[in-house]
Amino acid sequence: MTDVKKFIKSEPTTSVALLVLLVYVLIAIFAPYIATHDPMAVKTSRQVNGEKQYAPFPPSSEHWFGTDQLGRDIFSRVVYGVRVSIIVGIIARGLSMLLGVTLGLISGYYGGVVDNVIMRITDVFFSFPAILLAMMVTMVLGSGLWTVCLAIMLVGWPDVARLVRSQVLSVRNKEYVTAIKALGGSTSRIMVKHILRNCLGIIVVAFSMGIPGAVMYEAGLSFFGLGLRPPIPSLGSIIADGRGYIIFAPWYSLFPGLALAIFVLCCNVVGDTLVDVLDPSYRNKGR
Amino acid sequence: MWRYIRARVLGAIPILLGMSLIVFLFLYLIPGDTARLVAGPSADRATVESIRTEMGLDAPWYTQYLRFFSRAIRGDLGTSFQSRKPVVQEIGVVLKRTLQLTVVVQLLSFFIGGTLGILSALWRKSVLDKVVMAFSVLGLSLPQFWSALLFQMFFCARLGLLPPSGYQMGWDIYIVLPALTLTWPSAGLMARITRVAVVDVVGQDYVRTARAKGINPLKIAVKHIARNALIPMVTLVGTDISRMIGGMIMIEVIFTWPGMGKYVYDALIAKDFPAFQASTLVIAALIIGINILVDITYGLIDPRISYE
Repeated sequence: MTDVKKFIKSEPTTSVALLVLLVYVLIAIFAPYIATHDPMAVKTSRQVNGEKQYAPFPPSSEHWFGTDQLGRDIFSRVVYGVRVSIIVGIIARGLSMLLGVTLGLISGYYGGVVDNVIMRITDVFFSFPAILLAMMVTMVLGSGLWTVCLAIMLVGWPDVARLVRSQVLSVRNKEYVTAIKALGGSTSRIMVKHILRNCLGIIVVAFSMGIPGAVMYEAGLSFFGLGLRPPIPSLGSIIADGRGYIIFAPWYSLFPGLALAIFVLCCNVVGDTLVDVLDPSYRNKGR
Repeated sequence: MWRYIRARVLGAIPILLGMSLIVFLFLYLIPGDTARLVAGPSADRATVESIRTEMGLDAPWYTQYLRFFSRAIRGDLGTSFQSRKPVVQEIGVVLKRTLQLTVVVQLLSFFIGGTLGILSALWRKSVLDKVVMAFSVLGLSLPQFWSALLFQMFFCARLGLLPPSGYQMGWDIYIVLPALTLTWPSAGLMARITRVAVVDVVGQDYVRTARAKGINPLKIAVKHIARNALIPMVTLVGTDISRMIGGMIMIEVIFTWPGMGKYVYDALIAKDFPAFQASTLVIAALIIGINILVDITYGLIDPRISYE
């Protein structure tokens, strides 16, 4: 308990950010209970004091964030959008980690030609704007949840592979690895039990720090109509739909963007602290 | 030095080859009949088939790719499906507009971000430092396509000061909003990097020695601190340009800035394969070229780094 208090006192901003992220996770889990309306329910006009009004309706006690041009409740759409964002963020980043860690491990452990080939492939990926690559993938496979995850995986793995490779290189020639080799430990055992385990720290950091990026890619793809298919509410596609209404219905794009921005902001704040804590040499420089 | 540059440039060739192969394969896999696309929906079957033979689309993919590549090294990047003009010509035009935007954004973020970074390093933990750092993390967290919309809402819909989108030849007011949107994250990143670099340098022994010798503080700031802090700052300009190209695509589309980003996006959406293939090749070459330039400038700024 005292540790928690100490942390809150020394890192107040990070504590708030963590709390907000917790709220986001809860929103994602309990979306159906938090949403005030059916996110797909359409209502293009309504009667107010005997006067007929047409959607989009401005924010009110009934529609907290207003509605879109079809009268769909934006608050509920944002809640479901947050859920989709977080799901895509975790799955897509997880897939990038899976591919990146595997290739980085192989590259660092075996070295030589294998290493060279894998690293040249990462060079190719680095020479190319990631969002374009993701767009190409969704053009080939069609839009949808899994395509988007696949696209983000292809974009995210090279960084991870390089990071893991450099970590493996620093561990590979340690005495305990040589000792296990001498004792006749199998390659797969050494790679998984000894080398991978020593990379666990950076893997966890890379995973969590990569989630906001993955969320941003999903939103960006959906913004351009290349992400999730329309009936599924995605923050990016709601923002894009609201583009035509920035004069008459500014709330339309404002709230989904705010939800996205706050999430990414909190992730970045927590990520900064994580780097500070895990890399103390950095701490003395930065603050 | 020259040997180093030659090695790097030669090393870029397989990367470009690999990249163009990946792009080619993806385009090949995109559903739809290219010959039909070029001929138009009303063309009869015979016309479509003659276009297919004429364009060499009936050959297997590797033959098509080799043809593309052998033409590309001779400087012929094909003809756009949409405009029927040589792609090289079109890219020449749009690239200039993107460079215009890039130069403005990088100059702004280098000086604004650099100044703010130095100030917050010198007055660490002051209010200014906190505001600058908050501003920086905010710039890096806001989705650019959304902050672009916010600027449009504020400056165009609310204040009516600036046009929401568009482009005019030369220098015009249209550049303000796209440049502003792109500068915010870049300047934020620059401020952070500069701050860390300056804090790092100020604590070095040679700065203390210089102070102890009674050298004029301004001279210390310029000769000892600025010169050493410059290395990470210059690196950032390079990496930031490659990072920015991704955001540039979105920003150019949103503000209808007819540069490279909008060109490559339009080409992909319209399935204008020659235009897309060529522009991705040019973009990749630019990114690699910038990285080589950054590495060379290291050597110029920091005499400890040598490439021999």
